[in-house]
Amino acid sequence: MEKRIIPLKNTAPKFLVLAGDGINCERETAAAFLHAGGAAEIVHINRLLGNPALLASFDGLALPGGFSFGDELGSGQLLGLKIRHALGDVFRDFVAAKKPVIGICNGFQVLVRLGLLPFPFEDRAAALAKNDHGQFMNKWAALDTVPDSICKWTAGLPAQFSLPVRHGEGRIVLKQGAEEEIYLKLRDAGQIPLRYAQDINGSYRRIAALCDPSGLVLGMMPHPEAFAFQATAADRAENPLAKGDGILLFENILRHITGAEQPQTEKETRHAG
Amino acid sequence: MSAAAKLRFEIEDFSAPQKAEILPFYLVESEDADEEALRRAAAEIFADPLIEQLYDSAVDTDFYSDADYIAEVSFRPGVTDNAAHSAEEAFALLGVTARVASGRLYLLRGIKTREEAEALAADRFANPLIEKIDVFTGEEFTERRRFENIALPHVVLQGAPHVETVSLEIPDAALEALSKERCLALTLDEMHHIRDHYRSKNIKDSRTKSGLPHDPTDVEIEIIAQSWSEHCKHKIFAAKIDYCGEDGKTETIDSLYKTYIKGATRAIEKRRGIDWLISVFSDNAGVVRFDGKIDLAIKAETHNSPSALDPYGGALTGILGVNRDILGCGLGARPVANTDVFCFAPPDLPSAAGEENMPARLKEPKRIFEGVHKGVEDGGNKSGIPTVNGAMFFDRDYAGKPLVFCGTIGVLPHHLPDGRASAEKQARAGDRIFMAGGAIGADGIHGATFSSLALDENAPATAVQIGDPLTQKRLADFLLEARDKGLYSSVTDNGAGGLSSSVGEMAREAGGAEIELAHCPVKYPGLQPWELMVSESQERMTFAVPSENAAEFFALAKLHGVTATDIGAYNDSGFFSARHDGKLCAELDLDFLHDSLPQMQLSAVHRGDKPRAPWTADAELPDPRVETGADAAFLRNALLTLLAAPNIASKEKWVRRYDHEVQAATHIKPFTGKDDNSGPSDSGIIWLAPHGGGESAAAAIGCGLAPRLSLSDPYLMAQYAVDEAVRNVVAAGGDPDMCCLLDNFCWPDPVKSAAVPDGDEKLGQLVETCKGLYDICTAYGAPLVSGKDSMKNDYRGRDRAGRDITISILPTLLVTAMARADIRHTLRSDFRDVGDFIYLLGVPQAGLKSSEFAQHFKTESGLPPMDMQQNLALYRAYHMACSNNVMASGHDVSEGGLLVALAESMIGGGLGAEIALPETGIPVLDFLFGEAAGRFVVSVPPQHRAVFEDHFQGLTPLLLGRVTKEKTLRLTAAAPWGTGEMKLAEMEESWKNGLSL
Repeated sequence: MEKRIIPLKNTAPKFLVLAGDGINCERETAAAFLHAGGAAEIVHINRLLGNPALLASFDGLALPGGFSFGDELGSGQLLGLKIRHALGDVFRDFVAAKKPVIGICNGFQVLVRLGLLPFPFEDRAAALAKNDHGQFMNKWAALDTVPDSICKWTAGLPAQFSLPVRHGEGRIVLKQGAEEEIYLKLRDAGQIPLRYAQDINGSYRRIAALCDPSGLVLGMMPHPEAFAFQATAADRAENPLAKGDGILLFENILRHITGAEQPQTEKETRHAG
Repeated sequence: MSAAAKLRFEIEDFSAPQKAEILPFYLVESEDADEEALRRAAAEIFADPLIEQLYDSAVDTDFYSDADYIAEVSFRPGVTDNAAHSAEEAFALLGVTARVASGRLYLLRGIKTREEAEALAADRFANPLIEKIDVFTGEEFTERRRFENIALPHVVLQGAPHVETVSLEIPDAALEALSKERCLALTLDEMHHIRDHYRSKNIKDSRTKSGLPHDPTDVEIEIIAQSWSEHCKHKIFAAKIDYCGEDGKTETIDSLYKTYIKGATRAIEKRRGIDWLISVFSDNAGVVRFDGKIDLAIKAETHNSPSALDPYGGALTGILGVNRDILGCGLGARPVANTDVFCFAPPDLPSAAGEENMPARLKEPKRIFEGVHKGVEDGGNKSGIPTVNGAMFFDRDYAGKPLVFCGTIGVLPHHLPDGRASAEKQARAGDRIFMAGGAIGADGIHGATFSSLALDENAPATAVQIGDPLTQKRLADFLLEARDKGLYSSVTDNGAGGLSSSVGEMAREAGGAEIELAHCPVKYPGLQPWELMVSESQERMTFAVPSENAAEFFALAKLHGVTATDIGAYNDSGFFSARHDGKLCAELDLDFLHDSLPQMQLSAVHRGDKPRAPWTADAELPDPRVETGADAAFLRNALLTLLAAPNIASKEKWVRRYDHEVQAATHIKPFTGKDDNSGPSDSGIIWLAPHGGGESAAAAIGCGLAPRLSLSDPYLMAQYAVDEAVRNVVAAGGDPDMCCLLDNFCWPDPVKSAAVPDGDEKLGQLVETCKGLYDICTAYGAPLVSGKDSMKNDYRGRDRAGRDITISILPTLLVTAMARADIRHTLRSDFRDVGDFIYLLGVPQAGLKSSEFAQHFKTESGLPPMDMQQNLALYRAYHMACSNNVMASGHDVSEGGLLVALAESMIGGGLGAEIALPETGIPVLDFLFGEAAGRFVVSVPPQHRAVFEDHFQGLTPLLLGRVTKEKTLRLTAAAPWGTGEMKLAEMEESWKNGLSL
């Protein structure tokens, strides 16, 4: 089959990368979309509040990592509250329009508190609580890619790869009393795209990421934007300017939007790295 | 004030693996919402229903029923309460105007008595200086009806704002008393100088014309005191010093700063003809150009006195403060990396015998450690700035004052979008003065003058503050956007001295300034005009905004959720003036304020070894020659002892709580190696491409300090500090010929007086240190680009038994190095492949004095000498070898010496080594444990061996052995030492668990 070329420049899918109120990974998140061939614009949340219709002009949305509202009263709690009250409708429309959304670390916590994950607009089923060891930690974690996940961001990722985790509240907790029931539902629906290879924070069944039933809304604790290049790998790399595994998620979603196919050769080179 | 509704909420996290021991609680009052409305909003704000239970008067509670005691901790009035501020914002989002206060409940189990519970709470859970602790039994807790009797802390300030006149026409004793009572930290000579200024006819005439009294106002006296504080003016470094060296030779030094600090940089600049120093010694930070597109700003600060009183708040405000130095450098730099170095008393202090000797009112060393660490964690993480490099150094003489060094590196584009050079700023007459960020409170009053005094048990609690990272992050985002839009012409941070320093300094750019103090936003009413002027309330910056940009500047601040207030205008009057409610209350001649202070005259002497002051007993050390034999078993024992020593042991579990990768540009992280990445890195390397620099451009950041050497040879101490810092950056790939340095001096009071009888000797140590610093900087061609000094690091007060005690810190110079690097040619410390050859680079030297080994074992070995020219030649060759990717690993040899460096490279690589000590003529213990400067352990792939040896021709690389697959260190030394084996696992165990609290 003939391969389609990913459109560049003006026609590249454009992501809104949210900023402000203590979010702090907006620049590297926007850069990751650019390196992957997309477009991105960093938009302060209060600017969006002033013009909520702006959101609909974007092809996708990213809620980056950080310490929104200083993580006071629970991470993501107050940014989630602010979005729900001021932007709830436009977020709902955005997701209903099948546009992709990613929440990374604090952004994941916000998506969960907003009720967009794992079951949008239904009763809350999951929460992110304090790590079982009680501390913030910055370390690289090996991740297992769940092969039959429906997530559009993680499709075709290497079976195992590593990303940095940097959080104090990343332990997935499922609704008390119904954990296993919810877990099986999520698992069987392919809504658990990534797991930690080892338990690092007490997360239920080592869940590292969750997506919604459409596979378009992804929340994950590890930071893919922090591994766009080998230059920021945990260990030495042969070619630091070569791309890192984190960029693959961004390439995936851009391909999904444009309808391009995944180049076959790439998978093998990734394993070699 | 009558609130319509007052409620208390308590939150239990029921998802935690263990039953909750700490519960946050909130007191909420609102004048316009009723209880139901508050309760509805609170349910959304305070708890995540999936993991948390919210208790209030409507929900039955018995979560504390199994606790023996409940400790309730709440902030004292006026202390920054970040959780409460966030909650207030949340209520506002939901349309409810509310005041909130936060607190914590600790459920204490297994505690027998109330006294025990109170002591535990004061030690572990709260700082009585800023927090209130109430301890209850379960029964008392139920009976107090806490959901009904709700009182939020309120600051109540007595008296209406007014300006006082302060007469200086009083006897000398009264002048000195005035200085002490007002915490002015002015000497009698300085008071006389001020008095004489006010006596002059010109000034009297000018004041009459302005309608001011002839005597100074309290606002003026406070401005002068802050501006002339040791903290702001560095009077000791500027002093004229009569010096007598160890050899009896005398000389007069006209300013240590001009002669040895600035002098070194100017000499290097001239000799080397370097063109990459963009801004040095003139701004908040040094600025260098290592890249074709961006410049780097670098600065390190200390926050010692605040950290002694409130370790968490002191360190947090320290890191946020140095971030603002970078934000206020030039027209504003983006902070891209933090560094932190702590000097603490060992965590096992006090020993049972020394308990009574500890300073009264200061916390235990391990609590200071925990608090400072947490402050740096929150300060860096919540600001989104990676902490990439640091160190911890332990010595008992830091028991009276911990040293907390916070550094930041920032990025500036060469030019802003409007074409202005971003390192240059210029406030102009007519520009509006905007203060942006936090509001002013009584917190942080007299920080500058307080830190210019010795610490005693009556130190003011207002000098203690808690930082607010969220407010500062918003301020930083706003500042960088305003910068790129060209909205302001100058900026600086409000640090020590508050507005008096920031506006006072910027007034020099324009030629004058006038502010209206009553326009300043305040945390609560009732502050006096002088308090508004000198308060050091955090997270504030001062801008000069051309009036045509004022509206846009204000609107942008509002968008970012930042409070910005127009408080006056710059002018060209030659005066710094202030009004309160329209009435003039200060008018200070700028020349008098900034340039008239008479040079201090001091005398200094150096007599060689200056032993420690014996404020507590020393333990007797074992002598290796007597206690055990000279055999392989002793070497094993010594290595494991050193690996577990707090100065050497891994800091990983502490450092991993700092985010070191945010901004996605950290190329070499604090820990490196295979699998669990737990080998130590010699320096942090920041990749500059994500920050706008060249594709493979990078900067290596490292540090060095050697305070124990101060006791015997402060000249050498400076050189060891510089050499270690430079060696650390070179080890990872930094270019020794593109390397700049920062100097941070922390000294015990070096001014001789009745209270400090050996002040001249401490100043002598300072002179020697400056000489050593000058000599090595010029020898290495590494310019000093910024620095800071903190000169009153003594505890002078009572010990726990109520006796007078003085504890002076070890004279300490921290050197931070930043060198250009290239991510394609960097090197890590861990051994990489089995079969690689292991070499020692650098000439081994005899000498164990002051080493870590000498802290654990008795030795009479002397100090190892320093050969600067040889070191520099080695660093250049090393850098060339790095650029050609010849070596597989490189690690600097520092604390603990060669054997520790080998162990660390093994731990990082998860590999073993077979080492046979070559015959060098140096005693085996000195060879293995000496800390002589200028050395690396490297590993070299067999196929690169010849080219490696070519690179180091004439520098005699010493082959030690090879990397092995078997996870042991097999070490062979000449008789009687023999051959011994140490398992990697036991080394790792000692190293990783050595530093536990």
